[in-house]
Amino acid sequence: MRNLWIVAKYEYHRFVIRRGFLISTLAVPLGMAVLITVLIIYTESKISRLPVGYVDQAGFLNIDLQPVHPNPQDGLSIRAYPDEKTAMAALEGGEIQAIFVFPPDYLKTLHTGLYYLEKPPSDIVWKQFDDFVRINLTASLPESIRERVIAGPKITVIDITSNRQFSENSIINVILPFAASFLFFYATMSATGYMLRVVTDEKENRTIEIMVTSLTSQQLISGKALGLLAVALTQLLVYLIAVVVGLKIAAPYVEILRQAIVPWSYLGVMALFFFPAYALIAAVMIAVGGAMPETQQGQQVAGLLNLIFLLPIFLLPLLFENPSHPIILLMTFFPSTAFLTISLRWGVSTIPTWQLGLSWVILVATTTVMVWAAARIFRAGMLHYGQPLNLKSLLAVLKEQ
Amino acid sequence: MHAVEVSHLAKRFGETQAVSDVSFFVDPGEIFGLLGPNGAGKTTTIRILLDIFKPDVGSVSLFGGKLDQDTKRRIGYLPEERGLYKDQSLDSTLIYLATLKGLDQKTARNRLGAWLDRFDLAGHSHKKVQELSRGMQQKAQIIATLLHEPDLIVIDEPFSGLDPVNTKLVKQILEEQQKAGKAIIMSTHQMYQVEALCDRIVLIDKGKVVLEGKVEEIKHKFAGNTLVIEGDGDFTHIPGILEARKENGGWHMALDYGTDPQSVFRAIAARTDLRIERFELAEVSLDDVFIQVVQSKAAEMGAKDA
Repeated sequence: MRNLWIVAKYEYHRFVIRRGFLISTLAVPLGMAVLITVLIIYTESKISRLPVGYVDQAGFLNIDLQPVHPNPQDGLSIRAYPDEKTAMAALEGGEIQAIFVFPPDYLKTLHTGLYYLEKPPSDIVWKQFDDFVRINLTASLPESIRERVIAGPKITVIDITSNRQFSENSIINVILPFAASFLFFYATMSATGYMLRVVTDEKENRTIEIMVTSLTSQQLISGKALGLLAVALTQLLVYLIAVVVGLKIAAPYVEILRQAIVPWSYLGVMALFFFPAYALIAAVMIAVGGAMPETQQGQQVAGLLNLIFLLPIFLLPLLFENPSHPIILLMTFFPSTAFLTISLRWGVSTIPTWQLGLSWVILVATTTVMVWAAARIFRAGMLHYGQPLNLKSLLAVLKEQ
Repeated sequence: MHAVEVSHLAKRFGETQAVSDVSFFVDPGEIFGLLGPNGAGKTTTIRILLDIFKPDVGSVSLFGGKLDQDTKRRIGYLPEERGLYKDQSLDSTLIYLATLKGLDQKTARNRLGAWLDRFDLAGHSHKKVQELSRGMQQKAQIIATLLHEPDLIVIDEPFSGLDPVNTKLVKQILEEQQKAGKAIIMSTHQMYQVEALCDRIVLIDKGKVVLEGKVEEIKHKFAGNTLVIEGDGDFTHIPGILEARKENGGWHMALDYGTDPQSVFRAIAARTDLRIERFELAEVSLDDVFIQVVQSKAAEMGAKDA
């Protein structure tokens, strides 16, 4: 066990200091920072801090009934004008950014006139002025009803089989599982790509004979896999921190981001699938690395195998159209595609619990067999210097007592 | 108790019988030579000994027991297929390998300093392994073999890639290890090194033990089977001579089993194209023994096949 940790620690240290790892790990936070900066600059450029004026010909607005903004300095300043002429003079004089004109029959028609010079008021201005009008329209209602009316409708769809909730406001909560799927998968594929590299490195560096006289081949590959798992988790943690910090910073500027909720159930299920899926891909890479004499050949074979792992991405249109299509169901249960398929399905539909359970059991069983086989192939392959293991040799290795 | 006891080992790879019926033992404080021509089965024997391969038949006992994790820590192995992590620094690689053998980082680092000084590698400790010359890498590999102070040292061609100064240093280190009571198994083709260092040897050919014993006893046994001749002419095709090579202006000849030196003398004297100026029985070298045993066996096998 001691040796396993030593190998894990060594491999972790060896990889986190690589330039490639640092670049790929910092790319997401940097990308996020750039995206948020652009978003904030864009939003800020659209927002005018000038007051908004109104002309109330219907006589229902009270200038003193204004919504309370959480940040008073960001609150909209609203001015009342007795007539359109005065208001237009203020608009043309640059004192206000827009004028809302409520005609005498407004309460019947609900038609409003809007005047502005170049740019229409931003969404935030619309929202705040809308709140002001709602507060005035409901001024005569009891407090509890008034609050409910001002808040407006909020529809939540609950799936009775899984208890998952879908909110019409939270498109971001549909997007998040998709984004997370790609980040999860990217980190997994990177780490397992490293796995192939460390295995073939071991062969090319000819260190295997020294290693297997110090520890068992199972300890060696488990240590390597564990070290690289830590690499993947480090990468994911950095991504997660970047996303959370990014959302926190950007939320005040972008309405949709304020509605984002942490998809805990998604994260829980993905964590359950992540570890066996990672071990399965790592085991496949170990077996490929062990059987192939050179890194390049290993990468070619691994490239083909990656296509199988990435199949759900290619079938994304089908997944959107019909998440319960037999092919999608098949991919849910197929060990190499289960992780990504479930992750992607989560964003567009609910997945019955029995499907999650069965998929997980198949994945864990396959992974167990694959890890066992990979250890044998690795050991045998490592000692075949410069020669690939053919199918016959592979079968012989697996049958060996 | 023997440090190593190998009993009737056999191993087949597909159609090839790599090792068949190999037995020997090695005691603490002994340098044991594992010899044989290329492809004789030496490396396979070592790999079985170290549990890299499982034998089809036979058993291996190390320090009186089977090879387990604790026993592995008592072994230092310099394999024929040399290798270190090329993209890592020399010191971190050596410390890593030593910690896998049970040392803690601090002890490994402390010991490493002395070894690097001794091998004149201290100034290169932070360099990547790939930046070191072949000789330096070989020295680093020897350090990796010895850093954890093993009780059994298995070294395959320890002098390859070393200059005479470092060869002398490695010989000196092996002698120190022997005096410290370590059991050493050395496989090499450099017979003069075997003669200088080994107490006993085993010679393997085609997977079988063909010769075993103390170096001095073997040389004594084969004395009289080697001639030194000085004279004119080509002495390469004389009946009863396994090999004739020019050495120091004369001819050094290894006689076949059962060949009487007198009959060789008569055969040469009868030849008009040859002239003898000096004819004497030479002190046999392990090189000669090696050639005589291996070539005689080859001839024997050829005769059987025919």
